[in-house]
Amino acid sequence: MIRFSHVTVNYGYVPGALKDINLQLHKGDFTLLLGPTGSGKSTLLRLIYMDILPSAGAVSVEDRWSSARISPRQINLLRRNIGVVFQDFRLIENMSVFDNVALPLVIEGYRSKYIRQVARALLDEVNMLQAADQPASTLSLGEKQRVAIARAMAKNPIIVIADEPTGNLDREASQNVLSLLERFNRNGTSILMATHDYELIKDTPYRRIYMENGELRQPDRTMNVGKERIFKTSTEE
Amino acid sequence: MKSSFVLRQTLNSLWRERTPVTASILTIGIALIILISLFEVSMALYRNLNDLKQNMVVEVYLEPSRGEADAGRLAAQLENYGTIERIRVVSKDVAAEIFEKEFGENIYDILKENPLPVTIEVRLLPEYNHSDYLALFKKQVEALSGVDEVHYRHVLVEKLETITQAVLISGIVVLIVLVFAMNLLIRNTIKLSVYARREQIAIMKILGAGNLFVRLPYILEGALEGLIGGIMAATGLIIAHKFIADSFAAVHFSPMVYKMLWINTISVGILIGLFVSAAAVGHFVHKIHAKK
Ligand SMILES: Nc1ncnc2c1ncn2[C@@H]1O[C@H](COP(=O)(O)OP(=O)(O)OP(=O)(O)O)[C@@H](O)[C@H]1O
Ligand SMILES: [Mg+2]
Repeated sequence: MIRFSHVTVNYGYVPGALKDINLQLHKGDFTLLLGPTGSGKSTLLRLIYMDILPSAGAVSVEDRWSSARISPRQINLLRRNIGVVFQDFRLIENMSVFDNVALPLVIEGYRSKYIRQVARALLDEVNMLQAADQPASTLSLGEKQRVAIARAMAKNPIIVIADEPTGNLDREASQNVLSLLERFNRNGTSILMATHDYELIKDTPYRRIYMENGELRQPDRTMNVGKERIFKTSTEE
Repeated sequence: MKSSFVLRQTLNSLWRERTPVTASILTIGIALIILISLFEVSMALYRNLNDLKQNMVVEVYLEPSRGEADAGRLAAQLENYGTIERIRVVSKDVAAEIFEKEFGENIYDILKENPLPVTIEVRLLPEYNHSDYLALFKKQVEALSGVDEVHYRHVLVEKLETITQAVLISGIVVLIVLVFAMNLLIRNTIKLSVYARREQIAIMKILGAGNLFVRLPYILEGALEGLIGGIMAATGLIIAHKFIADSFAAVHFSPMVYKMLWINTISVGILIGLFVSAAAVGHFVHKIHAKK
């Protein structure tokens, strides 16, 4: 579904934020991206929604988009099919909770009635419907992240990318966010989540990708429980 | 939903940046008042100058020995130039009548004979009513046999031309200065609005918002500033016109003038706001993307 082929990223004069990455992500998977700070996790995620483009190699999404040849217009289309969740939420603080969740649908140009339906259903699912008319700025951090997840889900995305979504949250809120993502995953949405929080994910059965210094490390067998595929993927093209 | 969203963003931004927005609106308003007044004064001057020029008569005096038959022949020859609008032969008798009208005395009473030459009065086509052609015309016609002298008020013509030119040049200079000032202020307001919302713009881009959707609120913001500035300027101009019409009995403006004032001032305001903000917003929004 998403494929990295010999991807290298250099930031300006700083070389090797990512070095010759080969990786494939599969439809319906919940994938964890682990590694120390500065190892290149965010860089890898940004490549998927083409916030940055590779210095060498190519990233392709669904055989429909390839970083090797993509127009600004196509990048917009790609982003409308990917949900992104950040550590700092990136809600529009002075807009209402409802408007934040509705925004991707407004951008797509859907009709008000449909937008209202979808946004309210999603807010209900993340248990935030009661706050729909409040400005986003009035929410607690855990609530903000739930709203951000609802926004990421609004367009029925190919994949939800979460970059340290629990980085600013306490244990309970973190658990809550993980459960939400797991629930959406069980309903068929692919999830790729970067995290530092080993405690939070230690008992989960998901595929893990370890990064270090801009490279993929072979998966640690002792920590890999679950799907077979994980033993192949880091060497897979 | 999309348009109501954009509109809400626009109004929100206008309110949020109300101080620079007010400055922009005032600048547009004042600039429009100056611009439109300048335009009106130039047009009035231009019209009057044109009238004056239009009524300018070139007089061709024949030699004293020549009679009306010669004048008729010469007139036909001049008409062939194709530069003449109207031509009239003034006989000795008619010249004497004119003399009497102007000076109140009969020329026969003074001189016992009529020394006034037969004259051809020529009115040139408007496009030939300038000093260069007049000088050429004079030289050429004076060379014709039977013509004594060609006379026109060249000092007046040259003065009119200088005035027209001065008005035109100062108008252009003022226009450039004003447009520059408006551009600067509106740009600055748009810049502040865009930067105040750089987070929001970055978020919208990550959600895949197209260029137009991201930029439209700021473009509309400029257009609205132009609209409000335009309404202010039009109101001011109309009050000024009413005042002038009331103060000078000779001056009056038709309802059409007032209607055009509304329409022109406001549409020029909107257009300026629209174009300046459209040109500015791309620049500032693009900068945000580069930083992200
Ligand atoms: N905009 C940038 N300009 C220059 N260097 C950058 C930029 N963004 C990241 N880097 C560098 O690229 C490398 C990888 O950074 P990245 O943010 O992908 O790491 P990360 O694994 O997400 O770290 P963290 O866990 O702290 O979020 C780091 O060395 C970082 O300093
Ligand atoms: Mg990171």
